[in-house]
Amino acid sequence: MYPDYMMESIRKVEATRPQRLAIAKKMGKQVFPSMTEDEREHILTTYHPDYKKDARKELRIGPNKGEMITNEVVDIMESYPRYKSSDLDLSKVDYEVDVLVIGAGSAGLAAALEAGKRGVKTLLVTKLRLGDSNSMMAQGGIQAADQSDDSPTLHYLDVIGGGHFDNKKDLVEALVMDAPKSIKWLEDLGVMFDKNEDGSMMVKSGGGTCRNRMHSTRDYTGAGICRVLRDELYSNGGDIKYLEYVSATDLIMDDKGQVAGAIIYHIELKEYFIIKAKTVIIATGGFGRLHIRNFETTNHYGATGDGLVIGYRAGANMLFMDSVQYHPTGAVFPEQIVGFLCTEKVRSLGAQPINHDGELFVYPLEPRDVEASSFIRECEEGRGVSTPSGLKGIWLDSPLIDQIMGEGTIEKNLPAMLRQYQRFDIDIRKYPMLVFPTLHYQNGGLEINAKAETTIPGLYVAGEASGGVHGRNRLMGNSQLDIIVFGRRAGINAAEKVLAGIELGKLTLKHLDDYSKEVEKLGIDKKRISPLILPDYIPDHIKAKQMTQEYLGTLV
Amino acid sequence: MKIPYFPGCSLKTYASGFEKSAIAAGKALDIELVELPRWNCCGVVSSLTKDDLMHHLAPVRNLMRLSDMKTSGLADEDKRLLVLCSMCMNTFKRTNLKVRENSEDLATLNDFMYLEEAKYDGSVDIVHFLELLKEYGFDKISESVNTSLAGLKVAPYYGCMLIRPKEVGIDDAEEPTIFENLISSLGAEPVSWHAKNQCCGSYLTVNKQDTVIKLTRRILDNAQQEKADVIVTSCPLCAFNLDSRQALLQETNPGFEPIPVLYFTQLMAIAFGLDAATYGFEKNKVDPMPLLNKKVFI
Amino acid sequence: MSIEKKMVTVYIMGEPQQVPEGSTIIMAWEYAGFQLKKGIGCREGFCGACATVYREKGDYKLKGGLACQTVVTDGMSLVQIPFVPSEKPQYDLKNLEPNIDTFKELFPTIFRCVACNTCTKACPQDIKVMDYIQQLKRGDIAAAADTSFDCIRCGLCALRCPADIVQFNAATLAQRLYGKYLALRSPELENRLKEIDDGKFDAEIAELNNMGHDDLVTKYYSRQIKIK
Repeated sequence: MYPDYMMESIRKVEATRPQRLAIAKKMGKQVFPSMTEDEREHILTTYHPDYKKDARKELRIGPNKGEMITNEVVDIMESYPRYKSSDLDLSKVDYEVDVLVIGAGSAGLAAALEAGKRGVKTLLVTKLRLGDSNSMMAQGGIQAADQSDDSPTLHYLDVIGGGHFDNKKDLVEALVMDAPKSIKWLEDLGVMFDKNEDGSMMVKSGGGTCRNRMHSTRDYTGAGICRVLRDELYSNGGDIKYLEYVSATDLIMDDKGQVAGAIIYHIELKEYFIIKAKTVIIATGGFGRLHIRNFETTNHYGATGDGLVIGYRAGANMLFMDSVQYHPTGAVFPEQIVGFLCTEKVRSLGAQPINHDGELFVYPLEPRDVEASSFIRECEEGRGVSTPSGLKGIWLDSPLIDQIMGEGTIEKNLPAMLRQYQRFDIDIRKYPMLVFPTLHYQNGGLEINAKAETTIPGLYVAGEASGGVHGRNRLMGNSQLDIIVFGRRAGINAAEKVLAGIELGKLTLKHLDDYSKEVEKLGIDKKRISPLILPDYIPDHIKAKQMTQEYLGTLV
Repeated sequence: MKIPYFPGCSLKTYASGFEKSAIAAGKALDIELVELPRWNCCGVVSSLTKDDLMHHLAPVRNLMRLSDMKTSGLADEDKRLLVLCSMCMNTFKRTNLKVRENSEDLATLNDFMYLEEAKYDGSVDIVHFLELLKEYGFDKISESVNTSLAGLKVAPYYGCMLIRPKEVGIDDAEEPTIFENLISSLGAEPVSWHAKNQCCGSYLTVNKQDTVIKLTRRILDNAQQEKADVIVTSCPLCAFNLDSRQALLQETNPGFEPIPVLYFTQLMAIAFGLDAATYGFEKNKVDPMPLLNKKVFI
Repeated sequence: MSIEKKMVTVYIMGEPQQVPEGSTIIMAWEYAGFQLKKGIGCREGFCGACATVYREKGDYKLKGGLACQTVVTDGMSLVQIPFVPSEKPQYDLKNLEPNIDTFKELFPTIFRCVACNTCTKACPQDIKVMDYIQQLKRGDIAAAADTSFDCIRCGLCALRCPADIVQFNAATLAQRLYGKYLALRSPELENRLKEIDDGKFDAEIAELNNMGHDDLVTKYYSRQIKIK
């Protein structure tokens, strides 16, 4: 339950609620004016964390050398591999496959299913369990323009406007045109989309969408999809092999400049294995666990940006790695759930962001970066609510939902959210939720084209690890779509490339030695290695006594 | 009358015609069968386990679920549970016997229910539909008959579960008459036959089909010797053995004449002149329609 | 406003450790010096990777929960369960029918359920697990898919089941059968797929692809917002 002093602020929220309810009943979603282009620009440059003076620094190595990039990304790029090429014997291959998929979220699973279906030898590797991923955690929805009042063209406009017009247009086209097909593909695999009684899709709006286009499976949309893909893989009779608890720590190349496999590391047994592969699909997700600017994150334990590192070291180019998505509504109270996602669907269903004084201060469904910036503005200017542990947040007035949409709406549509807070004795049907922006999504990534190809022959990227689809800001529901569209495209194209014939040359790790030399020239501490593999939350006073860490910031 | 009603798994699958016709027949008599909002298997499967208490968990959990059906307005009463399936009835009644005789056992069973809102106190009586019909009055039932079954010879099959053991049986274990009374009230002619309370082979149908074939053959032969047109029963498993196994009998005995097996509620639906959709013959293996067309729907 | 943390004692694999009051089980492990490599996942209660069992001081019950969602209490005894062994039947959804016979063949163990309800008591998602097994026993796949919807496959039900049923795998199949065969299909989706195949939007999309930045900005800000 909330402490007394927070209840005082809640009373101010309750006092203005009837008036705000009346506005919602009269105006629908438009309870506050949307920002103009100039207003958006102003609030972003003044309050968004990406625009803070010290948020970025120059990357001094690799294909994007000279660009200003998010600090924490620069740090993992300016790090050494875990080994020298002479430490590994590439003549002893442990696994030889046609398609290697790294990462087992929905993008990786979709890629593996599509590749496997085409009869090529497919191997999926993941550092945790199949499906343990950000995909599984997505709550709100998946966009697809399948309603009669909507069109792929409108979807296209929303995507590119939300992305500040930086998106690669061929990727946007692929995303919106494949969307209805993706929904159909998922339904045929048995995903239970929310439907009306006549079988029509129950669609919601989301931040930055001009139509109701958000399909959902209650507020377990990511799980509703990912668990089906995982079950399909589990049930495939063993044709698609998978390895769990192994992390890809680098790519292997051949002497013709093609990708030729990966080195994988068994996290518990501490063994390295050589996988030779004609094509590799990186589907490792994002970087939330790097805790950019010390933000809390909604991300999975394994979201450490590993794919980005191994792709970049092999020579793949990155896009938009100067931009980070902070989800406007991360929990800040109670302490056990700080950083956890309060799905955008809460606002889609009618909850309003309210400051300490009970005032509504922004249109609830601005694009995420704009919405988040407005929350930061309120808190920086003293209109936020402080928590006992010293964090600040603003109220998300959830009780409005049942008042607008009818009793039982929260229970039916937000069971995960309701349960999350009930575990800590807060009933979100009666009391608002205290929220603050939380590190949510890696907007950029390794650059791909519409076939999910990188500039390295044989190397594909799909999902959050890729860059270009969402420009510098992703809209709600387009990530679940992205992972299906480009996961499938990567799997299909990789398999077809294999079937068309690929001759691998001599395997090599020369790119790692070259990279290490560059890192050394920068005078970086030899202990600083990447990829991170898993984050480390052991407190400093224990860490100081353990003295067994071989590498800085990552596991042994 | 709105009475709490327990369907059981068979009536939701293989014996759906039993439920469909019973609900319709009940409605014709102004008896509304209100399905328990939350229920599980009666427990008959687990009654085959050796652990003496474990197999009473499922029945007790069901019996407990009636507790607020009256206060919530769902049904008119909450101390009687209506059951159609003989096996479910037998299982529930034996559990009641157990817990009513032994309060310690009831307490142990209730210990398992610690996340449930109610406890079971042993106070729910089990009523088989035949018993409810008897209470309603066979004479009164005759008043609802709209289609003449005159001349239709019906062999009432009790099997085991309706009448044995005698502590839970709904009628005399050796010379039961309740079925015959119902058949007469519907205007059909009950056949007197000695196989009416012989065992059909029950669960042996899973792993000892030969035995079941032998036993059902004996029952079917006796019905035919006594010139029965149809057999009626109240047990989905008996019905399965008597009805579905006739195909095998025909294969091995070329001269064998199939005989339809009906639930008594299906006979009621016919006699009351209800819509044919309520008969629920979809799952009947030996199609009763040719016979009915010849002897009833002339 | 920061307040000093009170410490509590928890027994991690039998060993006493002092951790801050209010920690979740995962936080307690980490505070004690473990970097978890298995039995950990999203840390937000969605992935089911961190299912665990524990006992609290003075309570005879063996309780289950998600380590990322369960707050430690003084004297709590903890273990880690990195993996739940389970039997997973192989099938091709395309060849299955949404009926009871499918479950009889693929999940015969569900018919061993004695309604002891131990699974329901073990579920950290408050799902009526026993109820959906019972619904499957009577072939009500739609009801089972609905009842089991919030399942995150943590495996605690299967770990505690005296009849050795793997409930969560049966739940996944019920949900998939419902999604593929029993849910009504959306006519609008079918219609849109046809329109896309017929190239209805190709010209509009090509126009956007070829549009300059400023025109695109104008077009974006002038689009009509029609949300319900």
